[in-house]
Amino acid sequence: MPSRRPGARALGLVAAATVLASACASNGNRGTGGSPGSCTPEESPVITLAAYSNVYDVYGKLISNFQTEWKDSHGGQQIISQTSFGGSTTQAQNVVNGFPADIVALSLAPDVQMIEDAGLITHDWTQEAEAGIVASSVVVFDVRPGNPKHIENWDDLTQPGLEILTPDPAQSGGARWNIVAAYGAAMRGNVPGYAANDPAAAEKLLEGIFTNVTVMDKSANDSIKNFESGNGDVAITYEYAVLAAQEAGLPDEAVIPPSTVAVQTPVAVVDKYAQEHCVEDVANAFVKYLHSKEAKDLFSSVGYERSVNLKKAKAGDGGTYPAVKDLFTTDELGGWNQLQSDTVFGPEGAFTQAQAMVTG
Amino acid sequence: MARWGLRGTALLYLGLMIVLPTVVVVARGFGSGLSAFRDALTTPGAREAIILTVFLAAVTAVINVVFGTELAYVLVRYRFPGRRLLSTIVDIPFAIPTLVTGVMLRALYGPISPVGAFLGRHGIQVIFAQPGILLALLFVTLPLVVRTVQPVLLELDETEEEAARVLGASRWLTFRRVVFPKLRPGIVAGGLLAFARALGEFGAVVIVSGNIIGKTLTAPVLITQLINGGKPEDAAAVATLLFGLSFVLVLVTERLLPTGRKEAS
Repeated sequence: MPSRRPGARALGLVAAATVLASACASNGNRGTGGSPGSCTPEESPVITLAAYSNVYDVYGKLISNFQTEWKDSHGGQQIISQTSFGGSTTQAQNVVNGFPADIVALSLAPDVQMIEDAGLITHDWTQEAEAGIVASSVVVFDVRPGNPKHIENWDDLTQPGLEILTPDPAQSGGARWNIVAAYGAAMRGNVPGYAANDPAAAEKLLEGIFTNVTVMDKSANDSIKNFESGNGDVAITYEYAVLAAQEAGLPDEAVIPPSTVAVQTPVAVVDKYAQEHCVEDVANAFVKYLHSKEAKDLFSSVGYERSVNLKKAKAGDGGTYPAVKDLFTTDELGGWNQLQSDTVFGPEGAFTQAQAMVTG
Repeated sequence: MARWGLRGTALLYLGLMIVLPTVVVVARGFGSGLSAFRDALTTPGAREAIILTVFLAAVTAVINVVFGTELAYVLVRYRFPGRRLLSTIVDIPFAIPTLVTGVMLRALYGPISPVGAFLGRHGIQVIFAQPGILLALLFVTLPLVVRTVQPVLLELDETEEEAARVLGASRWLTFRRVVFPKLRPGIVAGGLLAFARALGEFGAVVIVSGNIIGKTLTAPVLITQLINGGKPEDAAAVATLLFGLSFVLVLVTERLLPTGRKEAS
């Protein structure tokens, strides 16, 4: 083996020092420890939020309003916020892997569950105000102007030759909402030609729909972007996405199927990290703020909010949000756990089977 | 006739594959005039993201130029058992999908891993902080430097080095005065490649950075978020600025340190 050259060694040390220096620099202003109750809050507490990507805009406003409110009611104390956005499941995995988020805002309950299972959320967040749900929407069909293909209900999606866009359920939380919506509508007996409470019928409906799926994008957003650029006859997506497209002057039209699922997106305080950072009170106050009238109005203004209250969500407001004939929640289908591991996405689940038939 | 056909095809190919898409992005960035451009750069975290990205790409290039050159020198000038294996290992970053690189680094240095926890106790946070991004960039760009410097080294006449050694120069002096001047174009080119690649790296970074706005959010990740958030114009504007900055930096570097490309043209 050759001996190292002294000059190279010096350069190596410089490089190593650079790494260390930046390591220390970026570790700057966070408190590192302390058990619950025994910590001293920092002068300007720092809260870290990990959220899923669709809520980028609205959370910016929500945080700055919350900061103002906190400042006014806490003698001018400034809250510093750190926000991170990404795919819901990716964010959950990051938190489980040590991303120190004090609060998570994700697109579906199983992602929060993942964090709870890792022991980082120690309270029962589903027992909190409005069951931990801060924003809701419904699954709809985004169709071309005038609905030329006459798509009104889930069975219309199985007509031969139709081109459907929906994201890939392996990568997207939104995709799973879409599938659960179709599955639930069939199981509840609200799709003509598909018997109620018959898993085989639901599977047949999913098979018919996925035979027509031409593009499986990686996220709900990619899917709707793809539709807007002229691909496909219909995109299965969230109501708020269609409203946003209309707001932007695009000719998208929303068709609300007679039976569909209420998309409910949860928020929870990650107790373990919040305690470590000594910001539990701030984090809890922020989550409480998200349930306030002001926050709800903000969610509404970006088309996200049907009421968190299912009855009100179903009734709509007669204007932007039309009534839904049969709006159901995942709880009415046995809850997310059962949908994930058994009835829909499990090894023998309706979607797993349907997908095998389509690709097989 | 045949020569024109050859030239024409080459230029057409370059135009279609590289010039056209670049023009579209830049045009889109300036699409709604300069004001839209300014709006995009006031997006929370946009300025910080661009500065962070250019800074980390430059640091990456410098570090990998040092170690990449050293590695190339060892691979070419020394014979030792396992040299072939070492040479294969250098190419691993090319073969691994960058997202997997991110996941690997997170598993190794993440706060809940033994190594990450140990460093954390000593106040050093690697993953979900800037050092993690730097590690990811170093990983994906190392082979670029090694593989650019290596062929230049192979071309060098070893007898010159031997002569220097016989005349009493130390190994280090020989490297500095005899080898390095000839290697310099290759080193600069490798460094620029590493820099450019680091500027655009998304897959490995998105996993390890935590994407905290204004702190660990890099420009490529921000661009993705802007596209997903339905703001393709803002995304194009950020991309254009990043592109402009790196273009200037590359030009300046090429001027200061001749890469040998001029002689080739």
